[in-house]
Amino acid sequence: MRDFSYLRASSADEARQAATQAGIMLLAGGTTLLDLAKCGVMEPETVVDITHLSGLGGIEVDENGARIGALAKMGQVADHAGIRAAFPAVSESLSLAASAQLRNMATIGGNLLQRTRCSYFREPDVFPACHKRNPGSGCSALGGVTRNHAVLGTSDTCIASYPGDLAIALVAFDAKVELGGRTVPVDDFFLLPGNTPERETVLERGEMITAITVPASAAAKNSTYLKVRDRQSYEFAAASAAVGLEFEADGRTVRDIRVALGGVATKPWRARGVEQALIGKVLNAETIETASRLAMEGAVSHGANHYKIELAPRVVARAILKVGGLA
Amino acid sequence: MTRTIHLSLDINGRRHDLDIEPRVTLLDALREHLALTGTKKGCDQGQCGACTCHVDGSRVLSCLTLAAQVEGRQITTIEGIAAENGELHPVQAAFVEHDAFQCGYCTPGQIMSAVACIREGHAGSDEEIREYMSGNLCRCGAYNSIVAAVREAAEMA
Amino acid sequence: MTIMEPRKHGDASDGTVGGRQTRFEGNLKVTGGATYALEYPVEGLAYAILVQSTVAAGRVVKVDTGKALAAPGVLMVLTPDDDMGLLVASDWGGNRPENQPYYPLPKQVQYNGQSVVAVVAESREQAIEAAKLICITYERTAHVASFDDPAAGEGKVMDNLTSGWGDAEAALAAAPVRIEGEYRTPREYHVAMEPHGLTVKWDGDQITVWEPSQWSHGMARSYSEWFGIPYENVRLISPFIGGGFGSKGAALAHGAVAAFAARKLGRPVKLALTRPQNFINYGGRAATRQKIALGATEDGILQAIVHRGASETSTYADWPEQTGAATPILYKVENFSSQHRVVPVNTVTPGALRGPGKNPSAFGIENAIEELAYKLGMDPLELRLKNYADRDYQSGKPWSTRRLREALTEGAEAFGWSKRSHEPRSMRDGRQLIGWGIGCGTFPVIQAPSEAMIRILGNGRVEVVSGAIDMGQGTYTILAQTAAEVFGIPVDQVEVHLGDSRLPGSAIAGGSMLAGSILGAVHKAATAARDELIGLALSDEKSPLRDTGANTLTFGGGRIAVPRDQGPSLTLPELMAALGRDEIEVRRNTLPDGATPQEHHQAWTTMAKVQGPTMGEYSMHSWCAHFAEVRVDEDFGTVRVSRIVSAFDCGRLYNPRLVESQWRGGIIMGIGQALLEEGLVDLRNGRTVNNNMGDYLVPTNADVPDIQVISVGVPDYGASALGGKGVGEVGIVGVAPAIANAVFHATGKRVRDLPITLEKLI
Repeated sequence: MRDFSYLRASSADEARQAATQAGIMLLAGGTTLLDLAKCGVMEPETVVDITHLSGLGGIEVDENGARIGALAKMGQVADHAGIRAAFPAVSESLSLAASAQLRNMATIGGNLLQRTRCSYFREPDVFPACHKRNPGSGCSALGGVTRNHAVLGTSDTCIASYPGDLAIALVAFDAKVELGGRTVPVDDFFLLPGNTPERETVLERGEMITAITVPASAAAKNSTYLKVRDRQSYEFAAASAAVGLEFEADGRTVRDIRVALGGVATKPWRARGVEQALIGKVLNAETIETASRLAMEGAVSHGANHYKIELAPRVVARAILKVGGLA
Repeated sequence: MTRTIHLSLDINGRRHDLDIEPRVTLLDALREHLALTGTKKGCDQGQCGACTCHVDGSRVLSCLTLAAQVEGRQITTIEGIAAENGELHPVQAAFVEHDAFQCGYCTPGQIMSAVACIREGHAGSDEEIREYMSGNLCRCGAYNSIVAAVREAAEMA
Repeated sequence: MTIMEPRKHGDASDGTVGGRQTRFEGNLKVTGGATYALEYPVEGLAYAILVQSTVAAGRVVKVDTGKALAAPGVLMVLTPDDDMGLLVASDWGGNRPENQPYYPLPKQVQYNGQSVVAVVAESREQAIEAAKLICITYERTAHVASFDDPAAGEGKVMDNLTSGWGDAEAALAAAPVRIEGEYRTPREYHVAMEPHGLTVKWDGDQITVWEPSQWSHGMARSYSEWFGIPYENVRLISPFIGGGFGSKGAALAHGAVAAFAARKLGRPVKLALTRPQNFINYGGRAATRQKIALGATEDGILQAIVHRGASETSTYADWPEQTGAATPILYKVENFSSQHRVVPVNTVTPGALRGPGKNPSAFGIENAIEELAYKLGMDPLELRLKNYADRDYQSGKPWSTRRLREALTEGAEAFGWSKRSHEPRSMRDGRQLIGWGIGCGTFPVIQAPSEAMIRILGNGRVEVVSGAIDMGQGTYTILAQTAAEVFGIPVDQVEVHLGDSRLPGSAIAGGSMLAGSILGAVHKAATAARDELIGLALSDEKSPLRDTGANTLTFGGGRIAVPRDQGPSLTLPELMAALGRDEIEVRRNTLPDGATPQEHHQAWTTMAKVQGPTMGEYSMHSWCAHFAEVRVDEDFGTVRVSRIVSAFDCGRLYNPRLVESQWRGGIIMGIGQALLEEGLVDLRNGRTVNNNMGDYLVPTNADVPDIQVISVGVPDYGASALGGKGVGEVGIVGVAPAIANAVFHATGKRVRDLPITLEKLI
């Protein structure tokens, strides 16, 4: 990795101030930045270590929802009793991510900003063409090995999938990202690649994620995160679903349902079509299966990733069956 | 010449001073600069767990941690968990007894991970041990014995 | 039936051959005290990093080194223009072309990822940064990325791997029941936890190499030949090795580069391959494909096997991954035909990976035999027993021992095979389809001459000294047990020194040949040392045992005594003190008497003296039968192995505790092979793109169920001096087909190409 200077921020303001300059990157858990610096994908001139800042790692849960400081560790949030009780999908998405060690390092803020696992993005020497890394240079993934690439939200410039788990749960439950000066819904925080795949979020230079808030809801309380992958553990999702459900008083008719998908899209993917198809309906295997297929509206495969179009609706359906008490 | 910084690291209860480049990871600082080679480099990419050590009691990957980041923290490596008199930590002893390794290269990371796994309360069942030890790959395939060793050490703890 | 249940050690039998002694070097490994190759403190180190080609074929036209040389800390850049003055070293067999120059950083690029430049700097970080500044211009030529590319052609037939008897084609045509299938395995990688690399230091024309090695003597020979220095001038040190699985048996180009850089710089150099380079810079298991046709009678008697296989090799060397290796010996068949081809493509030359040949071969025949069983409507266990090979039909020789029948029947009993429901998709638990399958495995008994030294020290300690390697199989432990048994002393009175080319020569730690080979030499040396000691004790005038009238002595419980307690007894240090001796040193080998020094050198540094499984009057092999249970999610296609019982005939087990670990290790690697492992090649440029442990998946702890292993073997003194057969390789052989067969039983889908990933089942 390229030589860089190391600065330890003494306050959030100082970190933000430093980050207004080009070439300066904030260092939190380091699990993305140092990994990609070793790959030659990220080349900071200076890293500003924010892990020693106090006051940004709190986890508060009350009847209105949760507020999670940006520097809270994935593992702390996963094991937090209040989060587990009010937002099981959030807790599960974290427990099923990475490994125990990585969860002890990676922060919540950093986790949202993790970069794609596209093999072509990660190997600049061998595959110089990558619009995400070097706008205008091309896309090496198109026509290459695409088993793990996205089928939703892709564009002619980029088919890299968003690799995270937590953001899938967050987008399902209308979480917001606090950026110091402003607050943005997680769904709007992430951008589709379009013609600017290098721009993955709305985060501006000099901004820093300070916290994430998740509003409490009956659907969030009755939720799950289902992750399907080749290996039993320590792997990114082939397809995953965060689902939350609230029934009407009859215990069968859907009042509120939230569905989001991971492992299949270029950003955390809220499947509103599935939700709308089920609200007001009585849940049964058939309605679930029919609605789940709507999750793949607009999906495009690129050869080896075609299986995701088959797989993802089944993952959604299973997760709905589970929260609906039908599995 | 590339820039260097001075660090004072607290490792296994001892202070170690060193001048290194800011980009040096904790793993390379241990292995290349401090002759603490018990912590292993398997992938250098956060994918295998061989470099696991403890920072403030929490298990982390030293390959994705800058040495500069952990100044002021308490670092524990495999060299620091046996008793002063050389008596093995119960997890170490259980690994020997259950033959929970072959080549031994992933072993320090497995043991550091196991010590933390038990302390975290994630060693309640074989299934839980398997999941919470899955960040430590073992290509020799000692997994059955690792689970047995962690289970036994957890029961004794 | 012997089911090996772990138990606390401490039994008196542990310190003898066959006891369950815990790992001799265990404490070093659990405390971080075991020192691996890249961990030796060497003063004044420089760090080397390799730069690899980004094209699959062509020529390096120009290397712009200016920016790299100007970067901080850079000491040297080596390019294809640097003539290192090296000569090609011998191949495995010890054959060497005369005065052929060797270019470890070649101009001609033969595969994507070939090392073409090296950067040496004061620190590893500086070398890595400077390596990114190297700019290479290539003249590209057309490449072939895979043997499935029509441009690859059919490849060339390996005549030495063609075999046949009877009239297989005619018998197949006449058989009332036939099946035919094509079975495929992808490129697979070793993924040893310790990356390749070395530290190397010159003192004048003497070179010391700290490098992980499965064969210290063989690799030392390469260094001496590359650099044109006497063999004695090379010292290769490798007392601990972080896994090899076949990858660390030969010195490789990066070793030559590091050694040359160290000599040119006049200071020691450390070169570590990055993890991606460990996938690309040396060969894993070649991709294979094989067509198998079986013909049988309606009651399931095999009439014919016709096998046609192929594997990928590089454009510059023929490495056959022999798909017909297990095919001829697993079943009784009167008509047989097998042929294997190698197909050159632009890849690094493939290499040996656990169970070479036998492994992909078993994937073919063991799938095919179950396909036949289902076609016949017969229990696959019954079909296997019905066609049990009473002798080796290929060599015509009787088996030395073959307890595959016991492996099948006792394994079946432990597994509960009799409760099986025959129909596919007939066993389920909710959305999980459950299936059972069998896979048999085999690996030949191979032996090589070896040498060992025993030293009895004045303090009573006994040293076992050998250049043999312990990469986790247990060499330290079983050699200590052997010496302890011969001298009747506790294991902790024994010291074992291994892994150094200056020590007595040994078989490679590979091909499951080391234990049987080196144990013979150690046992011979130890008994000779004991005999010498007895001779001295009964004849030396200072010996208290001299006048007892005994004509031999007993060794046990740490004491040396006259038989039937008719006289005094002494401990080893007491006897040595009485004899006034500081040391008794005895060196023995298993070469024929009168072997010349040249034959000695050849024996330890080449494979020329290796004895194959049918070179004597018997056909000698290890055998196993795996019983696998899988659970397949019928919606997601995910396969999880929920249970494995494996029964082995590996002859006598020198240490069952360690053997069980090796068996389980092989089985777990087989689970990875069956379900996860596959090198994915971008056909456009021939690059393996999943060249890391996050994308090339090996099993985690959570992927592995409790595995029950059973020994059904009996001592086979035809196979080795102490009755053991090979242990390490056979464990993986047959696992993948057992799982594939179980997946078929669960789902009704026959997946003939590995790995069995979810998209093949949904």
